[in-house]
Amino acid sequence: MSAITSFGDDRYAAASGLVERAAAAQVSGIPEHPADDGFFGPASVTWRINADLSGAVAGLRSLLMQALHPLAMAGVDQHSDWRRDPVGRLAATTAYVTIVTYGERAAAERASARVRKIHEHVRGTDTVTGQQYAAGDPALLLWVHAALVDSTLAVSELFGNPVSPADRDQYVAEMAVAAELVGVPPGQVPRTAQALRDYLAGVRPELRCTPAASESMAYLLNPPGLDDDIAEIWRDVAAGAVGALPDWAREMYGYDTPPLTDARRTEIRQALGVLDAVYLGEPGVLEARQRITLRMRAAQHA
Amino acid sequence: MNRTGNKAIITNELTRRTRPTPADGRPRGSRKVAVGLTAGVAAAALTTALVRRRVGRLRFTRGLAAVQLVLRGGVRYASNAPRLFAAAGEHRQQLRNDLALETAEDVAVTLGAMKGVLVKLGQMASYMDDGLAPAARRTLSRLQDSIPPMSPELAAQVVREELGRPPEEVFAQWDPEPIAAASIGQVHRAITHDGHAVAVKVQYPGIAETMAADLDNVALLRRMLKITAPHQDVDALVAELRERVLEELDYRREADNQELLADYYDGHPTIHVPRVIAGLSTRRVVTSELSDGARFAELATWSQEERNLAGETIYRFVFRSLYEVHAFNGDPHPGNYLFHGGGRVTFLDFGLVKHFTDEDLRPLIDMVRTLCVDDKPEEFRASLEEAGFLAPGAPLTTDAIVDHLAVFYELVREPKTMTVTSDYASAVVRRFFAVGQPVTEYASIPRSYVILQRINLGLFALLGDLHATANWRMIAEEIWPFIQGPPSTPMGEAEVRWRERRRLAAERPA
Repeated sequence: MSAITSFGDDRYAAASGLVERAAAAQVSGIPEHPADDGFFGPASVTWRINADLSGAVAGLRSLLMQALHPLAMAGVDQHSDWRRDPVGRLAATTAYVTIVTYGERAAAERASARVRKIHEHVRGTDTVTGQQYAAGDPALLLWVHAALVDSTLAVSELFGNPVSPADRDQYVAEMAVAAELVGVPPGQVPRTAQALRDYLAGVRPELRCTPAASESMAYLLNPPGLDDDIAEIWRDVAAGAVGALPDWAREMYGYDTPPLTDARRTEIRQALGVLDAVYLGEPGVLEARQRITLRMRAAQHA
Repeated sequence: MNRTGNKAIITNELTRRTRPTPADGRPRGSRKVAVGLTAGVAAAALTTALVRRRVGRLRFTRGLAAVQLVLRGGVRYASNAPRLFAAAGEHRQQLRNDLALETAEDVAVTLGAMKGVLVKLGQMASYMDDGLAPAARRTLSRLQDSIPPMSPELAAQVVREELGRPPEEVFAQWDPEPIAAASIGQVHRAITHDGHAVAVKVQYPGIAETMAADLDNVALLRRMLKITAPHQDVDALVAELRERVLEELDYRREADNQELLADYYDGHPTIHVPRVIAGLSTRRVVTSELSDGARFAELATWSQEERNLAGETIYRFVFRSLYEVHAFNGDPHPGNYLFHGGGRVTFLDFGLVKHFTDEDLRPLIDMVRTLCVDDKPEEFRASLEEAGFLAPGAPLTTDAIVDHLAVFYELVREPKTMTVTSDYASAVVRRFFAVGQPVTEYASIPRSYVILQRINLGLFALLGDLHATANWRMIAEEIWPFIQGPPSTPMGEAEVRWRERRRLAAERPA
């Protein structure tokens, strides 16, 4: 994987504490005594798919996709402080996705209101395309949303538990509410797997790998400062995320990766299991999972 | 290639890489290096690798007190009845039921993707885990806690698949609630149609296949082991780990071992090994006679005399099994004993039994004979070299070698009454892991003896916890094949009568 090389740029902070902080973020987003079932609920396909241990690969694949939109990338590049605190930024994203998925309605609404407010100040001119951008632009928000939904499906297909075609449609439909929460008009959000594919095909001419995208993603694929053992596993997470990209996206980045054989997929899934075991050792993770599982079981038996 | 010489060089390199020695005389970082030295430790190494980042520098500065704490902590943990899915609070039972694994898919999600392998390795490491800091221990125990029992229906389904009929028909009575967790299964009580109370260990469905596939990912195992033991022969460690775990996945092997020892100890005055019911045992189900008795924690509250007797029985069991059955139970976990008073002990769980050949045993016997009986240090040294424990021609005086290794033989060098203390057990552990001392640089443990180190690190810890007192040398002389001394205790006298009955029974035409 020639493009995934060591990243020596000292503008970037080390990625130590990645697992701990991501775990803490997730635990905090799963309520102990929820007042309601939130926007999805324990019977939803979303709860089931988002609990899969391939989540780390899906998250990374989403970021790789999202970064290919020059305006989305420019917004992050010019405004976010993620270079100074990349782990904090990833933990915040984890917390947000968790709250919207598993949190109460009020908590999800509060979290998305905060995101909308932050987006108000994120506007500027992309130096690559010369275009004006605004983070609150529904078109950009929809791209970010679609990249996430598509990544979750693509990754669960390769590394996760099987999802039936009906459940894939169901997942896309359920997730539409997440896009609406950050400000995408309901009529614009794809609600079937086919509609999602069509949307992605339509956006493709706008996509390209800008220097900012190339640089940021090189960092994410091989973050400096990870502890040795996590770094080993992260290599598999990165290989899984890159392997799960559409061919055209991999070509835009210029990643030269070997194809994902069945054996390689099994290996990556095993590495994800090890990562998951480490994750389980973090305070509160087991209890949070049990809370979710119990509610899903109750819904399933109801 | 000479194994010992190779290992000696490796150890030497590692020693030079360690940082300056702090005031306590223990090189910082030595724990990490030492962790790679044995295969039981390989599991510890693997799990340590997983959690190293949270343990950080703390690991390297822990002294003997911490080692003791870990060992004693292990005893405490194990002395409780084998845990079933430990959830906190009063809703535990309900939570267990609500989260029970209902399908083979649930099992795959919970224990697939390397997690079953990690649980197994963690268990193997949990006893002999000098390198396991509290954080590592917590992570492993959390992983184990994350595994709920099978639902009664799923357990019944496995019994049906294995024994042909549902458990309610196979047995006169069947308790659908498991009484204990096994690493990759759970234990149910039942009563057979001829009225015997039995323990039925039922394996999680699909787990053997999943774990066997996960163990095929040698690259992942290697990578994790390599982080902690970068200069070890990682391939040998991985091979040993795979072999041990794969063996445990087939309950028939365990049943064979248990039956072998139950046969040998049949009629023994104090040692009891539950009988396996062969007709009700298969690859994924093993049925054996149900035993009841006091757990290790309860024994600790009994009189010192009772504890001495229990210690004597365990000691006799370990060495009689080794010298006469050529078998050694590598799982001296305190949860694997039930105590009945008067020194009578029931031995449970034979999933990790190692068999030895005459050739394997001969150097061990030579070592103890030359050092403790003949008092011929040069011959002792030659035996060590022959077995591969010591590099030939190491630039060390024989006195230094004897000084270093004598601690392992301290109980049996002199015919005197000795109390095994926790301090002694810790000293053995400390000596075992004492990287940086001159002798250690030329010492190693050949793979076929790796499991035997659990005698040092497990048996002594147990006896130390019991504060067991006896004239161990005299007991050992009864058992040593080159002496076969006269009985030295009432238990020894009872053993003589038992052996006589065995001999007569063997002579009697069938």
